[in-house]
Amino acid sequence: MDIVLQQLVNGLTLGSVYGLIAIGYTMVYGIIGMINFAHGDVYMVSAYITAIAIALLTFFGIESFPIIIIGTLFLTVAVTGAYGWVIERIAYRPLRNSSRLSVLISAIGMSLILQNYVQLSQGANQQGVPTLLTGAIRFTVGDGFVQITYMKLLILFISLLGMGVLTYVIQKTKLGRMCRATQQDRKMASILGIDTDKVISTVFVIGAMMAALAGVLITLDYGAFDFYVGFIIGIKAFTAAVLGGIGSLPGAMLGGLILGLSEALFAGLISSDYKDVFSFSLLVLILIVRPSGLLGKPEVEKV
Amino acid sequence: MSQVVGINFKKSSIDALVAGFLALILFGPIVGVLLDGYEFDAEFGRVAWMVAVVVVGRFVMSCFFQTEKGVAMSFKYANHDEGAKVLSPGHKSKMVWIIPLVIVVGLLVPFIASKYVLTVVILGLIYVLLGLGLNIVVGLAGLLDLGFVGFYAIGAYGLALGYENLGLGFWSMLPIAAILAAFAGAILGFPVLRMHGDYLAIVTLGFGEIIRLILTNWASFTHGPNGISAPLPTLFGLEFKRRSKDGDTFHEFFNLPYDSAYKYMFIYLVLFAVVWAVLFVKHRLVKMPIGRAWEALREDEIACRSLGLNHVLVKLSAFMLGASTGGLAGVFFATYQGFVNPSSFTFFESALILAIVVLGGMGSTLGVVIAAFCLTVLPEVLREFAEYRVLMFGILMVVMMIWKPRGIVRVTRTGFAARKGVVK
Amino acid sequence: MSNVIVRKTLISLAIAGAATLAQADVVIGVAGPHTGAYAAFGEQLWKGAEQAAADINANGGINGEMIELVKADDACEPKQAVSVANRLVDSDGALAVVGHFCSSSSIPASRIYEEAGVLMVTPASTSPTLTDQGLSNVYRVCGRDDQQGDVAASYIVDTLGAKRVAIIHDKDTYGKGLADATKATLNAYGVKEVMYEGLTRGEKDFNALITKIRSVDADVVYFGGLHSEAGPLVRQLREQGSKAIFMSGDGIVSDEFVSVAGSPEYVDGVLMTFGADPTSYPAGKTVVQGFRDKGFEPEGYVLYSYTAMQVVAAALSANDLDPVKGAEWLQTNSVDTAMGKKTFDDKGDLTVSDYVMYEWDAKGKYTQVN
Repeated sequence: MDIVLQQLVNGLTLGSVYGLIAIGYTMVYGIIGMINFAHGDVYMVSAYITAIAIALLTFFGIESFPIIIIGTLFLTVAVTGAYGWVIERIAYRPLRNSSRLSVLISAIGMSLILQNYVQLSQGANQQGVPTLLTGAIRFTVGDGFVQITYMKLLILFISLLGMGVLTYVIQKTKLGRMCRATQQDRKMASILGIDTDKVISTVFVIGAMMAALAGVLITLDYGAFDFYVGFIIGIKAFTAAVLGGIGSLPGAMLGGLILGLSEALFAGLISSDYKDVFSFSLLVLILIVRPSGLLGKPEVEKV
Repeated sequence: MSQVVGINFKKSSIDALVAGFLALILFGPIVGVLLDGYEFDAEFGRVAWMVAVVVVGRFVMSCFFQTEKGVAMSFKYANHDEGAKVLSPGHKSKMVWIIPLVIVVGLLVPFIASKYVLTVVILGLIYVLLGLGLNIVVGLAGLLDLGFVGFYAIGAYGLALGYENLGLGFWSMLPIAAILAAFAGAILGFPVLRMHGDYLAIVTLGFGEIIRLILTNWASFTHGPNGISAPLPTLFGLEFKRRSKDGDTFHEFFNLPYDSAYKYMFIYLVLFAVVWAVLFVKHRLVKMPIGRAWEALREDEIACRSLGLNHVLVKLSAFMLGASTGGLAGVFFATYQGFVNPSSFTFFESALILAIVVLGGMGSTLGVVIAAFCLTVLPEVLREFAEYRVLMFGILMVVMMIWKPRGIVRVTRTGFAARKGVVK
Repeated sequence: MSNVIVRKTLISLAIAGAATLAQADVVIGVAGPHTGAYAAFGEQLWKGAEQAAADINANGGINGEMIELVKADDACEPKQAVSVANRLVDSDGALAVVGHFCSSSSIPASRIYEEAGVLMVTPASTSPTLTDQGLSNVYRVCGRDDQQGDVAASYIVDTLGAKRVAIIHDKDTYGKGLADATKATLNAYGVKEVMYEGLTRGEKDFNALITKIRSVDADVVYFGGLHSEAGPLVRQLREQGSKAIFMSGDGIVSDEFVSVAGSPEYVDGVLMTFGADPTSYPAGKTVVQGFRDKGFEPEGYVLYSYTAMQVVAAALSANDLDPVKGAEWLQTNSVDTAMGKKTFDDKGDLTVSDYVMYEWDAKGKYTQVN
C-alpha cells in the first residue's frame, strides 16, 4: 500500500513537470501547427541558466533559500523567454509561409544548434547544482512509510501555480483573447487588426517560460543535468501533449499527469525496462480510441 | 522596383543595438559564466566577442536589406514559388545522357577512390535508399513518419539475427528483410492510418522508439546494447575475409593479395545496383495508377474517397513499400558495418532521413539522391571543424531551409498535350 | 551530376590528407566521442594522450620520430566509428590508435584496424566481447567487466555479508556488462539478486525505480553505469529514506559524481571498484604532478589514456615502427607505464586486474578500502 502511494506521489510530480513542458509544444502547435522540436533543448538551456543563476547568487553572498529560488526563477524565466523569442525570429519566422515540414526540419536543426552551442560554451561534462532545500514529510502507512520531500511539494505547488496563471492569462486577458483568435484563424485575426506575428512570438516566449519553470524545478530537485537532457524529456512532453490532444492547454496538463503516473506505476509495479514501451503503447491505444487525443477537438474534415 | 532605395543608417544602427542587447542577454549567462562544480569562472571576453559579431552582422544585414538587391531578395523569400514545374509536352529529358554517365562514373568509383572515400560513398548510398523509401511515405503519400528508423532497424537486425539463428546469409536475407519490414509496416499501418497528420507522426515516432527499446531490452534474443555481428556478403560462396573457415575466400580464388577494400568494393557494387533498381521501380510506380493515387490522396483525401479510392489500401501500400526499402537499406548497413547495436537506430536517425526527404524537395527523386549525399558527406567534410562539426551541421540545416524551403530540386512533371477534339 | 562533384571534393580532400601525411612522423589516432552525449570522456582520452605524446616527444619521440596525434570523433556511434576508423587507417595513415571509448564503437572499429594492420589500445572499453573476438591487434589497459564484477561481488558477499542485492544497470554496453558480470559472480556465490532492472540513460527521475528498491527491501544496490545517472540515483535513494549501501564501478570515478549528486553528504559511503591508485607508483606520481602543474586534475580515463599511449609507443619503438610486429611483441613483453608494469595475455587483456574497492566520504573524496 505504502509503495503504491509513494508511486502515486512520484508520478504526480513527474507528470506535473511533463505538463509544464508540454504546454510549450501544445501552444505552438495550436497557433502555427508546427512541432517545435527545439523545445526540449530550450528546457535544457534553462537548466544551465538555473545553475548559473544559483552560482551567481551564492557568489554575491545570498544564502537564504527563498531569495535564491525567487531570484533564480526570475532570471531563468526571463532569459529563457528571450531564447524562445530569438529562436522563433531566426529559425521559424522566415519560414512562416512554407510547408510545415520545412519548419520541422528547421526546428531539428535548431535543436542541434542549441545542444552544441551549450556544449561548446559550457563543456560536455555533467553539471550539478547544490542541494538547497532538504527535508521531507514522512507518513506512516501500515508497516511502511511514504516520504515526500519538501522539494517535491514545491514542484507541485509552483507548477500548479504556473498552470493556473497561464490559464487565467489565456482565458481572461486581452493577450489571451488575441492568442485564441490567432489560433482559430490566423488570417481573419490579422484582418481584425491583431499583429499575428507578435502573437506568435508571444506564444513562443510563454512556451519557453513554462519550460524554464520546469527547468528550474527539475534542476533543483534532481540536481544533475548535461547538454543532452532536453532530448528525452522533450519527447516525453511531446507525447504528453499529443496524449491530451495537441493544441489543448488543459489537455497538455492532463496528458502530462497521465504519462507521469503511468510511467511511475508501470516502472514501480511491473518493470522499469519496458516503461517507455508501455507509455508509447498507451499513447497508440488512446489515439486509436480517440484519434485527436483526450481533450483535443476532433478534426472536422472540410471539402 | 521603381522607388529609390536609400540606406537609413539610423534604423540599421538601432537594429544592431537591439540585436546586441539581445545577444548580451542570451550569451551573457551561457557563454560568459562557465560552470565549474558549484562555482563558476567568468569568461566575459568570449561574450564581448560574440556580441560584437552579432552587432556588426546585424548592422551589415540591415543595411544590405535596404539596398535594391536586398529588397529584391527579401521579396523573393517572402513569396516562395509553389508547386511543381510542368514541362512542355515535347520535353526531352537531359537525363537520357546524364544517367549512363553517372552509371559509368559510379562503376568506376570503387577502383579509383580510397577506402575511406569508398566507405563514405557507401554510407551515402545507404541513405539514398532510406531517403527513397521515406520519400514514398512522406513525399508522395504525405504521411509524416518520424519512426522510419524502425524499419531500418528491422532490416539490419534481420540480417544479424537471421544469420545467427537460422544461418541465413546476406543474399537470402536481402529479400526476406524487405518482406519483414513491409510486414511490420502493415502491422503499424492498419491501426494508425486513420489518424491525421501529426498524430500519425507521434505514433510512428513511438513505433520507432518501441523497436529500439525492444532491441535494447530483449537481451536474450538481440544481445541488447552489446550488439551482434552481421555477416559479409559472399560472391557465389566466396568470402571476403582474410581467412575462411569453410570454403574459399575471394582473394585466394582469384590469386590476389588480400585487401580489405575488396569487401567494400563488392558491397558498393551490389548497393549501387540495388539503388538503381529501386530508382527504376519508383520511377515507374509514380507514373502508374498507384503512384497517382498516392499523390492525389496527399492533396485531397476527401475528394479521393468520394471518387471511390480505397484510402486505407493506398496509404498502406505506400507505407509497406517505403518500409521495405528501409529494410533493404538496413541489410546493407549491417553488412557494411559488420556489427549492429541499438544505438544506430535512435530518433535522430529518423530525423536525418526526414531531413533528406525535405531538403531534397518533397517527392523529387533526384533531390533525395543529392540531399542524401550532402547530409552524409557533409559531416565527414566538416570533420575539419572538429568539435564545431555538429553545430555547423545544425546551422546549415536551418539556413538551407530558409534559403530553399521547398528543397533543392523542384518536382517536375511531364505535361500532356491536349488531344484534338477532346478539349477545346 | 552533383554526386560527381561531391566525389571530386572527397577525393581532393583525401589527397590533401595524404599530403599532410608525408610530413608527419608517427601518426597515432585518438579515437573517442569528441562530440555528442559522451564528449566529456572523449576529452579525457584526448587530454591523457596529448600529455603522453608531449612527454614522449620531449624525450626524443619514438626512435627519434615525433608523434603526431589525430583526433578522431566517433560520437560513440558505431556508424561513425567505422567511417572514422577507415579514415584513420586510410587517409591519415595512422600506425596505431588509442581508443575508442564506447565498447560498441571499439568492436566494429577493431576489425578495420585488424584488417589494416593497425595496433589498437583502448583505455576504456571494458566489454569482454572486444578481446574475445580473437583479433591479434587489440589490447586494452583497463580491466574487463567480468574482472570488476568479481571484485564487487566478492566484496558484497564476504565483507558486507549482504543477502538482498538489487542490481540496476543503464541498458548500455558498459553498464549492463558490468551489472551482468557482478550478477553472475553473485549467483555463483549462491546469492540471488532480489531485483535486476534497467533505467534509461539521459533520464534523471528514478523515483519510481527507487520506490521499488525500497519495496524489495534491498541491503545493497549495485549500479552498473556512469556517474550521470549514479548521482541522481543515489540522491533520490537517500531522499526517499533508504539506507541501502550503494555500490558501482569505475564509471562513476569523477569529481562530477559529487556535484551531480547534489551534495557530498549523499555520496558518503558509496562504494566503487576502480584500478589501484596510480599515485602509488613512482612513475604515476610524476605524471599526475605534471597534469596538476597545468592546473588539470587527471581523473577518470585520463591516466588510462596516458598509459595506452605509452604502451603504443613502447610497442612501436621496439619494432621499428611496425604495428603488426608491435602487437605480437606485446604478447611476450611487458611495458612500464604510469600505472605500473602492464603485461598482456594472449587475448590482449591485462594479466593482472588491479581492481580494488574505494569508498567515498562525506567530503566528496574517495579512498581505497583496506
